[in-house]
Amino acid sequence: MITEEQTKKEEIQPVVKVSNLVTQFFTYKGIVKALDGVSFEIRPGEILGLVGESGCGKSVTATSIMDLIPDPPGRIISGEIYIDGFNTLADLNRQAKIIIKSETNVKVKRNKRYIKRHNFIMSHIRGNKISMIFQEPSLSMNPVMRIGDQIMEAILLHSKIEIADSIIRRETMTDEDIRKFYEDAVKTKTHLDLRGFVHKWSQDYGVAEAEDGIIEIIERNDQNAIQELKNIVAEQKTNIKLKYIQLEREYERYNNLLFDLNLQLMEAESKNDSLKINELREQIKRTQAYIRSKFSGYRLIKRFIGKRIEEPFRREARRRALELLKLVNIAGPDRVINSYPHELSGGMLQRSMIAMALSSNPKILIADEPTTALDVTTQAQILDIMKDLNRVTKTSILFITHDLAVIAEMCHRVAVMYAGNIVEEAPVKEIFKNPKHPYTVGLLKAIPRPDVKVNKFEKLESIKGSVPNLINPPSGCRFNPRCPFKMDICEREKPKLVDIGGGHKVACFLFENADGSRKEVE
Amino acid sequence: MELRYFIIRRILLLIPTLIGLTLLTFILVRALPTSLLLSQYVNPHSTLPRSVQIAHAKALLGLNYPVPVQYFFYLSALFHGEWGFMVSNFYTGPVLTGIEEFFPNTLQLTIFAVILSIIISIPLGTYIGSRPNSVADHAGRIFSLAVYAMPAFVLALVLQIVLGRGAITGNPLGVFPISGTFNYALVPFPVPSWLTSPNTSALVSHPTHLIIFDALIHHNYAIAYSGLLHIVLPVITLTLGILAGIVRFLRAGMMDNMRQEYVKTARAKGVPENVIIKRHIRKNALIPTVTVLGLLFASLLGGVVLIEDVFDYPGMGLLGINAITSYSIYGVMGVTLVFGLVLVFANLIVDVVYAFLDPRIRY
Repeated sequence: MITEEQTKKEEIQPVVKVSNLVTQFFTYKGIVKALDGVSFEIRPGEILGLVGESGCGKSVTATSIMDLIPDPPGRIISGEIYIDGFNTLADLNRQAKIIIKSETNVKVKRNKRYIKRHNFIMSHIRGNKISMIFQEPSLSMNPVMRIGDQIMEAILLHSKIEIADSIIRRETMTDEDIRKFYEDAVKTKTHLDLRGFVHKWSQDYGVAEAEDGIIEIIERNDQNAIQELKNIVAEQKTNIKLKYIQLEREYERYNNLLFDLNLQLMEAESKNDSLKINELREQIKRTQAYIRSKFSGYRLIKRFIGKRIEEPFRREARRRALELLKLVNIAGPDRVINSYPHELSGGMLQRSMIAMALSSNPKILIADEPTTALDVTTQAQILDIMKDLNRVTKTSILFITHDLAVIAEMCHRVAVMYAGNIVEEAPVKEIFKNPKHPYTVGLLKAIPRPDVKVNKFEKLESIKGSVPNLINPPSGCRFNPRCPFKMDICEREKPKLVDIGGGHKVACFLFENADGSRKEVE
Repeated sequence: MELRYFIIRRILLLIPTLIGLTLLTFILVRALPTSLLLSQYVNPHSTLPRSVQIAHAKALLGLNYPVPVQYFFYLSALFHGEWGFMVSNFYTGPVLTGIEEFFPNTLQLTIFAVILSIIISIPLGTYIGSRPNSVADHAGRIFSLAVYAMPAFVLALVLQIVLGRGAITGNPLGVFPISGTFNYALVPFPVPSWLTSPNTSALVSHPTHLIIFDALIHHNYAIAYSGLLHIVLPVITLTLGILAGIVRFLRAGMMDNMRQEYVKTARAKGVPENVIIKRHIRKNALIPTVTVLGLLFASLLGGVVLIEDVFDYPGMGLLGINAITSYSIYGVMGVTLVFGLVLVFANLIVDVVYAFLDPRIRY
C-alpha cells in the first residue's frame, strides 16, 4: 500500500533534474562551449518552456538529456542528469578521458566497455521513460518505412511484456467465460445466428478449428455440454503459438532484469561501493549465462521463423498504434497507418511523431520546436493536442521554442536561456508580468504587441549587439557586452541563479536571494 | 500506388523500349556503306555484268524500298527467326543458332558475377559504411579503389598469373585453369551426341548448352567439376570489376544517411545501434546503390566481351568479336540486339527492386 508520505515524496521528486550540465563540441576552429553549467528540473505533470535565441543551446540541452549529442565532435563534459530519479551520467568519467592540449587539439580516449554499457542502458531509457519529438516532421520520419511500422517499432521495443500479457489474457478463457459464452449461445434464436456467434468467438480466441464441434455441442443442449466445451477449448489452447509468446515474454523479462542490474551497477560504481559492485557483476554474469543457456535454442529458432513468432505481437502492436493515432486526433487512422511519410502533410506527420513518442507512456516528452516548421492553424492544433495529453496522461513536457507567444499559451514554468546558461526561471505569468533579467526584459520588448501603440516610423526595440561566439565567450556573465546595466563585477564573475521569491530565479548581480544572500539555489 | 501496378506499368513500357531498340540496330546496319553488304553478293567469275549483279542483290535485299518499309521487312525477319547467316573461324551457321548455343555461357558468367558481387558487397559496404574512418574502412577503400581503377583485362591477366594452373611453372597457387569451358581430355571416345555441334569448332553441349549443367544431367561428374573450375577465374574477374563500385556507393549512402534526422528519431525511440544500421540506414542507402547496379550491369556486359576473349570462353563476346573480325554484319547485328535486350531486362529488374525499396518512386 502506498502511504501518504510516499505519494508526497513521489510528487516532489522531479521527473528530470539537470544540474551543472556542461556540453562542448571539439571543432577544428576550437572548443565550442555550448552549455556552461545548465541546471533545471521538471516536476511531474508540468510543462516547462525553454526559450532563447537560436544558437543559445536549447536543442543541445535537449539532445544532451537524450544523450544524442553526435560524438565526435560533441561530448558532455560534466554534470548530472537525473531521469526518473536515476543519474544517467553516473559513469561519465569512466566512458572517456578528454585530454585538452590546446583549443584545436583535443583527444578523446574512449573506453569501449563503458560506452557499450551506457548505450545499452540508454536504449532502455530512450523512448521508454523519455521521448522526443523534433522540429521537421517530414525529415524526422524514415522515408521508406510505413508510419504504422515506425510506431509499431517503438511499441515493440518497450512494451513487449505488456503485449504478451494482453495476448495471453485474451487467448486464455476462464471457466466463467465459457459458462457465459454457452448461455449466450443457447439464447441465440436461429441456427444462422448461432453459427455467426460461434464463428466470431472462435476466430477471436484462435480456436477456429473447433467451430463445428462447438456448434454441435450447443445444439445438443445437454447438461454435460459445458464440460465438453471446456475440453475442446483446453485442447485447442495448448497451441504452439502461445508457448512462443510466453518464451518471448520471458526473454524480454530477463533482458529488462539485465538492464536493472546494469543500472544498479552504475550507481554502485559512482558511489565506489566495492562490495556491491562485485556482487552485481557476479549477478550480471550469472544472468547472462542463464539467458545464453535457456534461450540459445529459442533464438536459433527465431532466426528462421522469427516472422511467425512476431506476428501476434505485431497484430497487437498495430491495434495499439491505431489507438495512439486516434489519441492524437488523426483523421482516418486506418489509412494513415499504411501510409508512407511522403504521403502525409506536416501536421499529420507531427501528430504521428507524437503518437510514436507516447507509445510507451513516457514520464517526459521533450518537444524541440515541434511547431516551428508548421503553418499557423496546424500549429494551434498540435499545441492543443500536447496540452490535452499533458492534462489527461500527466506526462511532463519540456517545450523548447523561440516563440514567446507559444510559451505563454502552453507552459506552466519558463526557463530563459542565453549563450549556454539559464538566466532566468519563473512561473509563466511571473515572467511576462515581472521579468527581471535584462536579457528577458529585452526579449519581451522585442515582441510586436497590438495593444501597445507604436509610432509607425519607430522601430521595434531590439537587444543591442549579437549572440556571442561560443568558442571565445565573454568572461563572467556571458550577457555583459550587450547588457545596459553592466557593472564591473559582470566581467569578472559568473552570476549564480538566486531565488528572489515565489519560485522566481535570476542569474544576475542586480538581484539577490529573498533573504538577502547570494547563495546559489538548487 | 501499389507495387504490382507499378510493375505492370513498367512491363507495358517495355514495348516502346523494344521498338526503339530494334530501330537502333536497324539504323546501325543502314548506316554502313551498302557496298560492303553488296560485296558478298557479287561473283567476280560470273558472266553477268557487275551492275546487273548489284541490281539483283539490291532487289533481293529489298534495298529499293523506302527506308521505313525496309524497317518493317527487318522487323518481320526478326520475328520469323531469320537473323541472317555468319561465316567465321569460330562459328559458321545461322546467327540465331549461334546465339542460342553461346548465349547461355555468357548468361552464366554474368549471373554468377552479379550474385557473388551482391553477396560480398552488401555486408562489406554496410560494415565499412557504418564505421567511417576506421581501419577496416581505409583498407576497404584502398582495395576497392585499386580494383576499380584496374582495367578488366589487366585484372584477368593478373589472376591468370597468380591463380592460373600452369601459367608459371611450379605456381603453388595455380589451381584454376585459365582457358576454355572444360578439360577436353575428359571427353570420352567416341564423342557422345550431347557434346557435338555441327557448326562450331568448340564443343557445345546439349540441351542447355551449359557444360556444368549438361554434364550433371548426363552423369559425367568429372566434366561437371572441370567446368566448375573453369568458370572460377572469369567470374572472379567480373565480380571484382563491379564489386568495388557497389561497395563505394553503399558506403557513401550509409554515411550520408547516418547524418539524417530520421536516424536521430530512431535513436530517440531507443532502437539499438545495430538495428538502426540494418533496418533504417541500410534500406535508405541501398536506393542509390541499386541505381548504380543497373549502370554497372552495362559495364559488366562490356567487360564480358573482353573477359571471354582473355579466358577463351565461348560466349556471346567471343561470337561478337569473331563476327566483327570476319566482316559478318548479321552476326554483329544479332549480338548487338541480344546485348541490348539483356540490358533492357536487367534495367527492368533494377527498376522493380528500386520501387520495392523506395515507395516515393511509385507515383
